[in-house]
Amino acid sequence: MSVAPASSPGTRTGGAIGLALLVAFVLLCIVSTEPVNALRQLLTGALPMPHWSAETGWVWQRLARFTGVLNNAVTLTLLGLAMLFGLRARQFSMGADGQMMLAALAALATGVWLPPLGGFSWLLAAVVAMATGFAWGLLPGWLKTRFDANEIVTTLMLNIVALQLFRWIIVQGFNDPAAGFLATPALQPLALAPNIPGTQLSCLLLLLVLAPLAAQALLAKTTLGFEIRVAGDSLPFARQAGLPVARTVILSMALGGLFAGLAGLQLSHGLLGRLPADLPAGLGFQGLVVALLAGNEPKRVPIAAFGYALLEGGAQAMERNSDVPRELVKVIQALVVLLVACERLPLRELRTWASSKLPAALQHRLGTGRGSASPRASAREAS
Amino acid sequence: MTGFSSAGSARGAIAWPAPGSGLPQAGRGYPQEDSQLPADIGPGPDSTRPESEIASSSQAVAVQPLLLDVQALVKRYANGVLANDAVSLQLRRGQVHAILGENGAGKSSLLKMLYGLEQPDAGQIVFDGQPRHFRGPADALQAGIGLVPQHLQLLRSMTVAENLALGQEPMRGLRLDHAQAAAAAQRAMQQYGLAVPVQARVGELPAGLQQRVALLKALHRGARLLLLDEPTALLTPAECDVLFASLRALAAQGLGVLLITHKMAEVEAVADRYTVLRAGKVTGSGSTQGLSPQALATMMMGHALPPLQARRVDARGRPARLSLQGLTVLRPQGRPALDRVCLQIAGGEILGIAGVEGNGQSELADVLAGLCKPTSGTLLLDDSQLPLGQARQMRSRGMGRIGEDRLHDGLAPGLSIADNLAVADYRRPPASRLGWLDARWLARRAAEVLQRDAVVARDPKSLMRDLSGGNMQKLVMAREIGAEPRCLVANQPTRGVDVGAAQRLHSALLGLRDRGAAVLLLSADIDELLALSDRIAVLFEGRLVAHFAADAVSTRTLGLYMTGAFGTQPIAARLDAPFTPGLPAADGGGR
Repeated sequence: MSVAPASSPGTRTGGAIGLALLVAFVLLCIVSTEPVNALRQLLTGALPMPHWSAETGWVWQRLARFTGVLNNAVTLTLLGLAMLFGLRARQFSMGADGQMMLAALAALATGVWLPPLGGFSWLLAAVVAMATGFAWGLLPGWLKTRFDANEIVTTLMLNIVALQLFRWIIVQGFNDPAAGFLATPALQPLALAPNIPGTQLSCLLLLLVLAPLAAQALLAKTTLGFEIRVAGDSLPFARQAGLPVARTVILSMALGGLFAGLAGLQLSHGLLGRLPADLPAGLGFQGLVVALLAGNEPKRVPIAAFGYALLEGGAQAMERNSDVPRELVKVIQALVVLLVACERLPLRELRTWASSKLPAALQHRLGTGRGSASPRASAREAS
Repeated sequence: MTGFSSAGSARGAIAWPAPGSGLPQAGRGYPQEDSQLPADIGPGPDSTRPESEIASSSQAVAVQPLLLDVQALVKRYANGVLANDAVSLQLRRGQVHAILGENGAGKSSLLKMLYGLEQPDAGQIVFDGQPRHFRGPADALQAGIGLVPQHLQLLRSMTVAENLALGQEPMRGLRLDHAQAAAAAQRAMQQYGLAVPVQARVGELPAGLQQRVALLKALHRGARLLLLDEPTALLTPAECDVLFASLRALAAQGLGVLLITHKMAEVEAVADRYTVLRAGKVTGSGSTQGLSPQALATMMMGHALPPLQARRVDARGRPARLSLQGLTVLRPQGRPALDRVCLQIAGGEILGIAGVEGNGQSELADVLAGLCKPTSGTLLLDDSQLPLGQARQMRSRGMGRIGEDRLHDGLAPGLSIADNLAVADYRRPPASRLGWLDARWLARRAAEVLQRDAVVARDPKSLMRDLSGGNMQKLVMAREIGAEPRCLVANQPTRGVDVGAAQRLHSALLGLRDRGAAVLLLSADIDELLALSDRIAVLFEGRLVAHFAADAVSTRTLGLYMTGAFGTQPIAARLDAPFTPGLPAADGGGR
């Protein structure tokens, strides 16, 4: 007998976010004298606002802030995808941080040392960044299959190695004495990634859509992706069926590194143009959160990343425009992750309970007619 | 399935050799002790019924009060599946009642409702004269209903006594009073006449004894109605007989037994009455006396079961397709798992391997799948050496495998049906080209398989884990046979598979054979071996000890060789090797 199908990850995540916001509101009511305004800032503070004035007509305000959110979303998307590949093969590779840093440095060096090549040197830098991330991801995979080294330990240690290597290289000589702080030389404007024609936005923003599509195609449509999915779903089965398990494990981590490398490129060629020696570590773990929020589905990663970035931007707005300390938003972020991580939320039990109490005829129309209910679900996913 | 009529009686007639014949292994001693049990634990002195009535209990039960009265139970799951549609059945004290049906017929749902794991949508359960509403298993236990699930829920690292005490531990301060627990276990053992080694760890016991511990545990908690979910699925024929004897003895003490099965021979062997379910409805019920297997099959499937037409192949003299030479698998300690196994299979032939489970079958299958590297020996496929211990190479050379634990290592539950079917051929055209999968072709192929093998699934994109166990099995078989291997190793292929699907699998195996593949069939089901194999070899303690032509050997002879009673010297099951002579006396010259 087949069991009742689990509710889709989309609705589950939606429910978890709703629940988390409810908890957030309760918390806001406790710490704030204007909880409604604070919540409004949190949710919409990072979004652009249309504004009417007599001279200029309708203009969008806060566009810069929103661009920041978008850039943040790109980085998080790429880091989320970096984590996702390992997770899909059931490898807990935590190395995105180190992969990203080394890739950013390698990409920047390429951009600094190479002539601009008519504005196309950034493409070469992209290849270098991806190759660096790939290689740094290959290493723990090889250690795991060859020496049975736990990938959590090796990737965390390699993160430390990468971070210190990054700082050491900058401190030891790859720096710009004129910068006024310890940082690499800056990229020439022509070496940066070009803007999307007609806008002020870097074309790397397109990765928000392109990278998940590529990841999705890689996983769903290629034999390598197939091997990753099978090995991740049932290792004994993959072994028994004669899949190249060791190669799959190594490549899953290396492919993650490839996407982390792109995140590095976004740092060097999109956001910063030069890398400070004190670039904060730990961004990679936000990628883990994004991958989990997206339920390890590439298509959902940009949505999760955008939501995460929006929440962060809203937190800054809330901090500025209300009496709530920014720490609270960290609590809310953590709560969302925590609730999404709950595989069996009470909401589902509630729904099962409700459906068992509904009359059979009604249930038949609602429950088995999943096809008819799907427009609503797909609309929700598209939004 | 052949041999319905012979199965129950012939197996029961096997005379096990006397215990203490110098057998060093504790595990092997049990079945022999077990066979003494029925005599030991006949009806006790307090039983009001004469012994003759118990054997043919249908007249006797009329005087017994109703224990369980199930009235028109309806269960519809949240996904719309109508699992039980007005199911009714009655069970009297002292009766054994069998529930039959194919996979997905609603047997387990019924059991779950009786044990409080699911709540019925309509209908009533009357137990011991009172209407009952079980909110959970605790209520059912309280009322006196005990469940022995198919996958026994025992703690393998704890002793039998500790397992029995679980939930009602006799305490000494803060610690378990081991002496008292052991004494309680002893008492329960004697009360119900179920002999178990009280101080042994459960994990070290053979399957039959583990099952008995589970039975005893249910009884120990005061069960007057025992629910058993496919109790024989993991048992050898001998263990089945012992279990049935125990169940009959318990029924003779006035308990009720309700058991689920999809083996028709078992109904005849143990039950007084039966109820057949098909697609959630009762399609037949009554007394098992004079019941024909054909009639049962019709009730279960809605149509009669066509007899299997297996043409025997005499492949002696043909070149060998698969050849094993001196295959040995040593273990860190104890006797070798496989000891100098020599066998050959020709193309277009099925070699059956008979044997009590745990005598090297899984190791043999694993070596042939490349999952385990033998200590010594060689494997030849069409006269070229197979790489040892390399699953990938073995597969690409044309070795196929239907594994024993298919639901564990035979499928990816979180992937779609189409993906699961693709595993065998995903890196060749037309499934993929230059590393890109042809998703549309895979989906179309999966849809064809779903249709051809009557798999109940919404579409090729459905996840494997949303299917029932029986349907998962069908898909695994379809994949392995559809890959058209040159040599297929099928280990317990019909375990957990219903009659209709088993029949389909049998004809698929024969079809594969007739298309020229070599098939190695490892099975604990002697009837299946006799029905399908062309030659049969017996595996005992990792050695091949006998070699027969399948149409010239009896169940009894096989059974005796399986226990090692007639020589344990290794023989070779080559194509040119002589057959082991059958038993001279009382063998009846084959089947």
